[in-house]
Amino acid sequence: MPAKEKSLEEMQEDILAQLQQLKIEEELLQDEMNNILTQAPFLNEKIKNLKKLLPSLKIIENEAVDLVHTINDISESSEQISGKIRALDSARSRVDECQGRVCDLIDLEICSQGVQTAILDADYEKGAAHVHRFLSMDQFLLQKTATDVENVSNTLKSVRTLEDAASQLRSIVEHKFTEAVRNEDLVSIERFFKIFPLLGMHDVGIKEFCMYLRGKVAFAAEKNLKTAITTPLSDKRQSVIFADTLTLLFEGLAKVVDVHQPLVETYYGPGRLFTAVNILQKECDIQVRRIFNEWMKSRQITTKMQQINETNKMSANSSFGKLERIDPKDLDILIGEITLMHYRSELYVRFIHRKVLADIDVGIPDVKNRDDAMNSFSNSMKCSELAQLKHELLSHYLRLEQYFMEESINKAVAMDFVDSAQQTSSMVDDTFFIVKKCIRRSISTGNLDGICAIINTACGVLENDFCDVLRSKLKQGYPSGYLDLTQAYNVLQSSIQQGRLQSGDTEQSRTAFIVALNNADSCTEYVDALCESVLKEIEQALPGMNANEHGKLESCLSGLSSVTSNLKDIIDYGIQQLRSSVIKPRVNPWVDAFLNISHQFTEEELSVYEAGETFVQTLIMNLESLLSSFRDVLTESNFDAFVSALTTEVTQRLEKVILKSSFNGLGGLILDKEVRSLASYITAATSWSVRDKFARLTQIATVLNLEQVSEITDYWGSHDGALTWRLTPSELKSFMLLRTDFKSEDVKRLKL
Amino acid sequence: MLNDVTPKNRQLTNFVKPYEIFSTPYYKLDFSEITKTFCESRNCKADSTSSLRVCKVIIVGDVSVGKTSIVNRFCRKMFDTSYKATIGVDFEMERFSILGIPYNLQIWDTAGQERFRSIAQSYYRNSHVFIAVVIIVFDLSKPDTLLNTRKWFFDAMNTCGDMLPYVFVVGTKKDLLGGFAYKTAELNAVNVAKSLNAEYWPVSSKNGENIDLLFARIAALTFDDCIKNEKARSRPITISNDIVSFKGRKGVYNSKCVNC
Ligand SMILES: Nc1nc2c(ncn2[C@@H]2O[C@H](COP(=O)(O)OP(=O)(O)OP(=O)(O)O)[C@@H](O)[C@H]2O)c(=O)[nH]1
Ligand SMILES: [Mg+2]
Repeated sequence: MPAKEKSLEEMQEDILAQLQQLKIEEELLQDEMNNILTQAPFLNEKIKNLKKLLPSLKIIENEAVDLVHTINDISESSEQISGKIRALDSARSRVDECQGRVCDLIDLEICSQGVQTAILDADYEKGAAHVHRFLSMDQFLLQKTATDVENVSNTLKSVRTLEDAASQLRSIVEHKFTEAVRNEDLVSIERFFKIFPLLGMHDVGIKEFCMYLRGKVAFAAEKNLKTAITTPLSDKRQSVIFADTLTLLFEGLAKVVDVHQPLVETYYGPGRLFTAVNILQKECDIQVRRIFNEWMKSRQITTKMQQINETNKMSANSSFGKLERIDPKDLDILIGEITLMHYRSELYVRFIHRKVLADIDVGIPDVKNRDDAMNSFSNSMKCSELAQLKHELLSHYLRLEQYFMEESINKAVAMDFVDSAQQTSSMVDDTFFIVKKCIRRSISTGNLDGICAIINTACGVLENDFCDVLRSKLKQGYPSGYLDLTQAYNVLQSSIQQGRLQSGDTEQSRTAFIVALNNADSCTEYVDALCESVLKEIEQALPGMNANEHGKLESCLSGLSSVTSNLKDIIDYGIQQLRSSVIKPRVNPWVDAFLNISHQFTEEELSVYEAGETFVQTLIMNLESLLSSFRDVLTESNFDAFVSALTTEVTQRLEKVILKSSFNGLGGLILDKEVRSLASYITAATSWSVRDKFARLTQIATVLNLEQVSEITDYWGSHDGALTWRLTPSELKSFMLLRTDFKSEDVKRLKL
Repeated sequence: MLNDVTPKNRQLTNFVKPYEIFSTPYYKLDFSEITKTFCESRNCKADSTSSLRVCKVIIVGDVSVGKTSIVNRFCRKMFDTSYKATIGVDFEMERFSILGIPYNLQIWDTAGQERFRSIAQSYYRNSHVFIAVVIIVFDLSKPDTLLNTRKWFFDAMNTCGDMLPYVFVVGTKKDLLGGFAYKTAELNAVNVAKSLNAEYWPVSSKNGENIDLLFARIAALTFDDCIKNEKARSRPITISNDIVSFKGRKGVYNSKCVNC
């Protein structure tokens, strides 16, 4: 039974534990109750306070209800008030209107009485002011008012009086204005000009006034043209006399606009300038056409154009018909005059546009109307005779300028002259001087299409005619001749130095070849510089170009700059010529001398070899004599190209002769040394990098200079010390096999 | 800027055929192998010359035949019934992507009026490094404008020197003609085009018929030459007058001609 006992004991323990638990709970509850009890007095206090508040709440409720009533009342009455105010407002505006009408009626009365007296007194300003007052009244209301008031007939009579007076005044003013114009009575002209708008005759006023101004412009222009035609040939300004006349016309017109615009704006309001300008433009068109026709006649433009066309046709058919060509020099002044004429017209058009568009901008508030006005003005200017003439001028200009450029360049080529002190000949400087001059002149027309057309022409002339000349000179080749070559170079040099060529055709052709090659090179620089400077100048001359215009210009310029790619081809071709006629025949025997030397040295032989003139010393000496004969005659970059061609030739040939030789260790060592000194000599001779051209040769020398076959693994593979090989594994092996001391099985066994 | 996406209709993945096989002297049927291999190689996408691949398109023809309208339809998808004469010359650049390579058409819309002739002509003389196309436009509803295409053709040929441009004879305002009238007009036009050794296309700028196709055809034809020329230039050069002229091309299509 110990189990049972145990369980009893356990039960007792349980019970005790529970009792303990209950005791703890009892204590907790006790604490809580104490807490609550202590709060009771406070709560009682609060309840008491609240009880006190109850009656006040009642009062508040009653008062709130009252307030709602009051507010309702107020809102009702305020609505009533606002209705009344509305009524009042409309009443007041009626009163205002009435007052206005009464005022109108009173004024009507006054005006109708005053107007007659004013007319009789010839006080047209006063009369017009009355009419203006009358016109500012609402005519429809006036009629209605008239039927409302008692003395209908009176009012109607006044209206009729004023209407009559208005039309009377209108015809008087118009008449007086015409009279004033006839009498050149400036004061009256201005007087009546100011009266027109008062009578509601804005358009008439502007038209009459501008007709008057037009007459003045015409008079002045005719006088100027007459003076121009009768200007003696000896006069300083004779060569630009028509440009001067045109300038006078435009300046006159601009002045008219400048002087009268404030007047128009003050009395007629803004937004009316374009009506005025349209009228003046008609006179401008007539006068410009006259000046143009006189110019055509006096400068014999038609004949010149015909002559130019004939010349172009002839040269296109490449026939040698000696027809009378115009000397481009004789056109120089005329071209200058045209550009000036065009530029003046361009400036005038821009001036007028600026003025009128600014006036429309302030004068016409409605956006759509404003755009319409601007478009219609722009269109009318586009269709004007002036615009047409500008195009014709530009067209003449372009024909003449193109002819000028082509013929001048032809002349420059024909008169080509080699100055001994210069590497290039005169035609390069001359040609680019001409091209630049023509493009500059086109810029001074102020017209982008004109500029682009001349750039295109320049591109065509350089790309075809000019490059053809260089090309055909190089095509003749560089004669290697039967003279000893060193001697030949000396002759060439001295003849160039002395600026005379006498020792026969060979020297002449050589100089011609070298100069053509140099010309091509300096042309590339000229072209680049030209494009750059021209772009800057155009941007300065035409600051307002938009993106599209920029694109247009840049496309044309990129055509011009691509002439360099033609020039580069020409240079390449020339260098190839030199390579086959100068470099190859000399270099080959020099390099082949390598074969005369045994490359299997004993120590003794080595010191003997090194004490004497070594292969590479002789080679360098020979190369130096060859290079020095070209160093001063070729331009820097041509010389570099020449050295580059020479290097290719030497390294390739040397590779060939190495393959035909056999080496021992010392031989390999010497070869390595010699290759290095050759490379450093050539590197010093040129500003271009020749390291690449020597890459194979240097590697061959490295291979041949190995201590033993296995050493190749130091250089071959993918580890850090490895080289980037220019030799294929089989090439490498065949070079290794040239070492007589390497076992061929070892070499063949190499895994590369 | 170079990377902005070319719109779908400016992306060509296939060669574009002529309007009718009998109305063209250019018998090329597909991009050449050189071009295809080049375009497939990955290095061509990164190369810097891509922005420079440009073809010059010069549009000429009588006054008001509809040159500007063609350009406006093609470049701006617009058509305006009112006529505004072109002053001087207008310029547009249109980007294509052909076989994944950017290519540009530089379009010169010249003025038909006589007084702008020198300006227009000068564009034949601008660099021959860029392949060139001359589009001679006439009005299908005005037979004399077709006759004048000869004049425009010889004008171009006399000014362009060594360069042999592609020539297109394009009849506009097709929408104005009914079936029968059109058939007659086309017959004449095809004959004229043949005599000028040019490719014929009828178009309407009003409803857009054939406009995009015509320019896509031009782009495809010239692109192929452009790439081939580029490849040829990188080989050793031989010197002759036609160093950069396109005489070589003639040989290409003549030899193709045997195949078809
Ligand atoms: N119905 C129809 N009208 C056309 C079409 N193409 C052009 N036109 C109309 O022909 C007129 C002349 O069009 P343009 O494109 O300005 O002519 P253009 O050849 O550029 O003329 P210039 O610049 O003066 O040489 C315009 O009124 C056009 O609306 C066409 O395809 N269909
Ligand atoms: Mg046009």
